[in-house]
Amino acid sequence: MTRTQPGLPGRAWHPVASSADVVLRHVFQGRLLGRELAVWRADDGYVNVWENRCLHRGVRLSIAVNDGRELKCQYHGWRYSNRTAECTYIPAHPADAPARTICNRTFPVVERHGLVWTTLEHDRPEDLPVLPERGSQLPLRAVTVAAPAADVVGALRSYDADDDLRLASESDLLLRFDGASGPGLTLLVQPSDATTCVVRGVLHGVDEADPDVSRLTLLRLHNRALNRLRARVESEVGPLEPGNDEPELELVPEELAELPPATRPGRSASLRVRVERKWSAGVDVAGFALAPLTGHLPVAQPGAHVDVHLPNGCVRQYSVVNAPGEDDRYVLGVKREPESRGGSACLHDTVREGDVLALSEPRNNFPLRRDAEHTLLVAGGIGVTPLLAMAQTLAHHGLDHELHYFAQTEDHLAFHDRLAALGDSVRRHCGLDVAATTARLREILAGHAPGRQVYLCGPGPMIEAAREIAAECGWPVEKVHFEYFQNGQEIDKDSSFEVDLARSCLTVQVPPGQTILEAVREAGVTMPSSCEQGACGTCIARVIEGEPVHQDVYLNEAEKASGEAIMTCVSRSASPRLVLDL
Amino acid sequence: MPTPPCTDPVVLNLWHPLSAVAETAAGQDHTTTLLEEQIGYAWSPDAGARAWRTGATQHQLPTLVRYGYIWTSLGTPPKDLFSIPEYDEPDRRNMNASTIGVHVSAPRAIENFLDMAHFPFVHTDVLGSEPHTEVVEYDVDVSAERDEVLATRCRMFQPKASASSSAGAEVEYVYRVPHPYCSILYKTSGDDPGRKDVIAVFLQPVDQEHVRAHLLLSVLDDAHEDKEIRNFQQSIFGQDKPILENQFPKRLPLDPRSETPIRADKSAVAYRRWLSGKGITYGVIPAGR
Amino acid sequence: MITLFDYELSSDCYQARLALAVLGLHYSRVDVEFYPGREHETEWFTELSPLQQLPVLRDEHTTLYDAQAILVYLAARHDATGTWLPRRDPVLVGEVTQWLGLSRALASSAGAARLHESLGHVTDVTAARARAHTLLRTLDEHLWFGEQEGRSWLCAADHPTIADLAVFPDVALSEEGGVSRIDYPAVRRWTDRVKRIDGFVPRSGLFPGGSAAAPWPR
Repeated sequence: MTRTQPGLPGRAWHPVASSADVVLRHVFQGRLLGRELAVWRADDGYVNVWENRCLHRGVRLSIAVNDGRELKCQYHGWRYSNRTAECTYIPAHPADAPARTICNRTFPVVERHGLVWTTLEHDRPEDLPVLPERGSQLPLRAVTVAAPAADVVGALRSYDADDDLRLASESDLLLRFDGASGPGLTLLVQPSDATTCVVRGVLHGVDEADPDVSRLTLLRLHNRALNRLRARVESEVGPLEPGNDEPELELVPEELAELPPATRPGRSASLRVRVERKWSAGVDVAGFALAPLTGHLPVAQPGAHVDVHLPNGCVRQYSVVNAPGEDDRYVLGVKREPESRGGSACLHDTVREGDVLALSEPRNNFPLRRDAEHTLLVAGGIGVTPLLAMAQTLAHHGLDHELHYFAQTEDHLAFHDRLAALGDSVRRHCGLDVAATTARLREILAGHAPGRQVYLCGPGPMIEAAREIAAECGWPVEKVHFEYFQNGQEIDKDSSFEVDLARSCLTVQVPPGQTILEAVREAGVTMPSSCEQGACGTCIARVIEGEPVHQDVYLNEAEKASGEAIMTCVSRSASPRLVLDL
Repeated sequence: MPTPPCTDPVVLNLWHPLSAVAETAAGQDHTTTLLEEQIGYAWSPDAGARAWRTGATQHQLPTLVRYGYIWTSLGTPPKDLFSIPEYDEPDRRNMNASTIGVHVSAPRAIENFLDMAHFPFVHTDVLGSEPHTEVVEYDVDVSAERDEVLATRCRMFQPKASASSSAGAEVEYVYRVPHPYCSILYKTSGDDPGRKDVIAVFLQPVDQEHVRAHLLLSVLDDAHEDKEIRNFQQSIFGQDKPILENQFPKRLPLDPRSETPIRADKSAVAYRRWLSGKGITYGVIPAGR
Repeated sequence: MITLFDYELSSDCYQARLALAVLGLHYSRVDVEFYPGREHETEWFTELSPLQQLPVLRDEHTTLYDAQAILVYLAARHDATGTWLPRRDPVLVGEVTQWLGLSRALASSAGAARLHESLGHVTDVTAARARAHTLLRTLDEHLWFGEQEGRSWLCAADHPTIADLAVFPDVALSEEGGVSRIDYPAVRRWTDRVKRIDGFVPRSGLFPGGSAAAPWPR
């Protein structure tokens, strides 16, 4: 979709800003070959070069708020993540996790020689010119010239800032000057559009110690020369109609053009990560920082989990602890389960720093609403992991919340550093027995009021108790969100029944011992799944007809009673036939 | 490169607003631009409105005076304009809040007018406020009989719903799009909860990427001066203006794959389809181009 | 008691509101409807402001009708810190006055282009835009070299002055007049900084700025 301008040489990579232009909490507005760019630096130093356009309604992202971790569009508050430009939140639909595929257009970035470089072409190797690196480099003030690049290059050949400089070579919109005694200079012409370009210069071999030639003197000298050159070229070329070469805009993926949400991927392990760090995050809790082998990781929204494919063949789900904008690695917390079926023991005992693991893309079946006036997060033990991600998000957005963390002892509290950073919003409840826990939950949940939401994660009995207490305290079920680690129930697999797949026009038999999910997959229908024990919500299917037997711990009572959805990995049918929207 | 003058028959045959009568000095000739052509117009209480193409021929154009504005057409317009029955209710205060030039296409401006999800972000602490950002399900209908897009049961939390309210409340809206470049909204009146204030935007397409937005108010309000009511709407519109002027492309893309709608954009999706169905090409980027 | 005769969408009025806000002054507002009511041309208003200019500030027995005069007065009279108009420093007083001059030049170029675009005021808009670009180019160069010298504001001080408040509105609203700021990156960074001044108030047509950087927690 990229067009090169006729008569321009073929270098794909161009400077679009100087590093100093891209200050924290700012969005630089750039332009290259007729295409506008939003260039911004996250607080972790990473520079993003994006199409200057929110893919929702086309509003420029150069007017967005850079909050250090994400860009927030001014029009509807959509948030886009550092690095990947994935949409992390759509405020109009606070209960939904945005589809992973909602992603703004990004361009490759290299920061070098004091400049930010990019290319509009896909898969082009880095053909950045190599600038001399002897001595220190000093980028000049960029000067915009209202003239085509070829005219500007022509004028730059007789660049006259300083008698000391001699044109040494020229190629691809670049002119290199050697200094006879002083610093050398590279001048680069950035083609903004057909009738405008930006001249960027880098002095090299600047002797910082030389008291006679100060940095500022050099900068002013060259700025004057470039201004003279601009005035001359512009008067020679005469007034030009502004470049009207509107770039063609890439179409969004098919599934984003329609209103229904996109389908989610199956139980695949498309990500490869390296264990960058493994540490003791609390008693019996191992922390893992997992960095991508190549490229960027998809953003994990608060509440999301990943499937970890272990060397021993087990697949386990772990919530991602990351804060907003913490996008260069996933942080997981893994508790050693005494009755480990091979997951936590393997991660604790076998997996080491440097090992490579396969992960699924993150899935969010426990999304966080951010439209509550007050949010209660109630964690038991390692159930703190998704709630920690949520608390960090709420804190970052300045939204009112409390994180109640129940643990055996102070030492069992995991992720001390993150808890400390959250400050007063964290309430620690240690060493309480069952009765005391129940009493404390009663105190915490007593404050139901409109505009509040509660999120629960922890051991099964604790979630059960909290849900009961919440109901007694008058919390409507739709405001009580929960996630179980696992389904503690005995799953009955003895029944047999028929399932009609309405959209696929198929009928499958589910015999005793087989799940709906397995039967559906056998019939050739792709179906996402993750925990496969009725806890995570990934394999949900809509029921059109029939009487389901749920057996899951994902749906709340009202949802179960309505009979409108099931978890295909554990649910069965009381009626001889179930019709599913698959 | 100048855009070619309008050749879109659908748009040529529409009625277009030129000016608020209240802002048209009586008995004098005025000029304005409509669809890239210079148009002369005049109004007086006795003779009513006249409009003509300026230049040698002074070709006379059809005119209407409706809702306090002078309307004309460059083609063969329908007999009458869409109806706003509330306008004639005797206890309403009707006025032009403003006529403001905006660098955007008319359909982009209509879409913005239909949109509620932006209230907390663009009209912060006035028409919306974080964290009350949810747009709950509403109904959209395209009435074949009336040939208009209708959105009903639209609800949004507003900290200060109008000049006559100071407290927050959930406000209910109804939106109508009876004309490709005109839209009308009805919102719960602060003074009389049983009735609705009417705010309409009539866009005069100067060219494909510039409009003059005429903002009609027909409100139930005994507490405020006209200028206070206008001031409130002007400042609201002033908040939308830079958003509209920062949208790209400026013409509304009708290909469903050019932008990413969500459920809250139901009315916009219906509006875009409705425009496509009419075969409109002016002010839009038709699908498949 | 201070009274401001004010029109929300006027950039001169906004200068006065900004100054009142950053100085933390309480005041009452009287709406003067510039458009469509043309209230600034009425007899009662002409009495206050003979040139029919908005805003007008009344403070006890003083009435002033020029935006820059109002800024100077407010800072001289009500700024206990003495930073907004550093009267004891002749260099800064000179610089402030110079930038107040630039703010007038912006009003008659960028401001005029804006009135042409939004309200159809008759003006040579091509000339107005060209002049606005010349001013913005000058401003960008000044601010860029300021950054090189570790300076964030228009004047050579480590704090903002009324010069920043006077120049900001017509710069920040320039795009409504068809004057893009894409070629003035140092100006764009400075507008972000102005939006973060303690007490800053937004106005219709300006986007919120977001907060300044905090340490990156790890």
